[in-house]
Amino acid sequence: MPSTSPTFDHDAALLACARGERFALRALYEHEGRWLLGVALRIVRDRAVAEDVLHDAFLQIWAHAASFEPALGSGRGWVYTVVRHAALKAVRDPGRLQLVDTPELAALSDAQQAGEATDADRDLDTESLERCLQRLDEARRACVVHAFVDGYTHEQIAERLGTPLGTVKSWIRRSLASLKDCLA
Amino acid sequence: MIDLRDPAERDATAGEYVLGTLPPDEHAAVAAALPGDAALRAAVYAWQDRLLALSARAPAAEPSPAVWPRIAARLDWQALPGRETAVRTPWWQGLRFWQGLSAMGVAASLVLALRLVAPVPPVPTEGARYVAVLESPDDKRAAGWVVEVQAGGALRLVPVGDTPPVPPGRSLQFWTKPQGAAGPTSLGLVKPGEVVQMPVARLPGVGAQQLFEITLEPEAGSPLGRPTGPILFVGRTVAL
Repeated sequence: MPSTSPTFDHDAALLACARGERFALRALYEHEGRWLLGVALRIVRDRAVAEDVLHDAFLQIWAHAASFEPALGSGRGWVYTVVRHAALKAVRDPGRLQLVDTPELAALSDAQQAGEATDADRDLDTESLERCLQRLDEARRACVVHAFVDGYTHEQIAERLGTPLGTVKSWIRRSLASLKDCLA
Repeated sequence: MIDLRDPAERDATAGEYVLGTLPPDEHAAVAAALPGDAALRAAVYAWQDRLLALSARAPAAEPSPAVWPRIAARLDWQALPGRETAVRTPWWQGLRFWQGLSAMGVAASLVLALRLVAPVPPVPTEGARYVAVLESPDDKRAAGWVVEVQAGGALRLVPVGDTPPVPPGRSLQFWTKPQGAAGPTSLGLVKPGEVVQMPVARLPGVGAQQLFEITLEPEAGSPLGRPTGPILFVGRTVAL
């Protein structure tokens, strides 16, 4: 069963989706769904909205699978970008009510760390990136993490960290550059 | 604005694009440039993979069992993937509004629903009769419409339960797709609470397991000739 294998082939699944093979989309959903929902939920902070995001993102994956280029990068990275961008779009929709982002909420969301599902199940190499993140100073690391994990805008990060907006912008740029060097 | 021809600027922009911190106009500009800019695509893919491991910081969340069926139901209506027009995801923020539909038991079943709202005497024309209950894909208990169709006769679309008002600037569009058909056929726009009747000659076919659905579309209907908005009600026919 591809859905339980730790070495799920995301690239092959996307290529199969591009051929119209539905089982491949289903397998991708079975394999990554809870992680992708977790990523969306962390950003939109509302389960029903997060599930709408997941739904719409999977339709986008299905519709655009043919545009995935395995020569350029991993299918998994491609899929996470589709879901994260869908979540960001949902959470930044001007018509959406602003959810109050209290520290308690963040703590709660950290606390809901799934006990039974660990990174070992995911075959996701976090070590290199974490090592490179640790080389950034704490505030700069926080900028990148808040942007990626919480989906914060420059403005939200500036507010959260009590740092001027221009500083946040340049920290993010430079942090990305140093992550790139470190990972090279 | 950003200059995507400058390699350093392009790479930094690609990183922020993936991260999600570009202002909306720049984000849209990058998204629009991607299909025609191989260097930009390469930079974006590289950033996707560099930052991917950060997704491990978000705890997993098990999707509720209703999510996959909603996706699968939508795939039924999708042409083969890979075409740019295949999905135009409507970020319709009011989706959950529809989920607030008063739950009406499907247990109030086909027969009862038909008897309540369509106390029609048997149509004299010969031909197989089919019925479909169109339910909200999010909440199976929320039946919204019943379709009754007779081969060689007429189709009736009858509202049951409360269909909430359509948001301004939007319309409800009625579709069908017979078993095995390549894609859906529009049967026109419908209004909440209104009975629609049409000759079956307008349908691409009539049979069991035929899909009927109502989607939320732009006011004048889908510009693509196939559903673009969320499915509000969907069901398949059974033979009577």
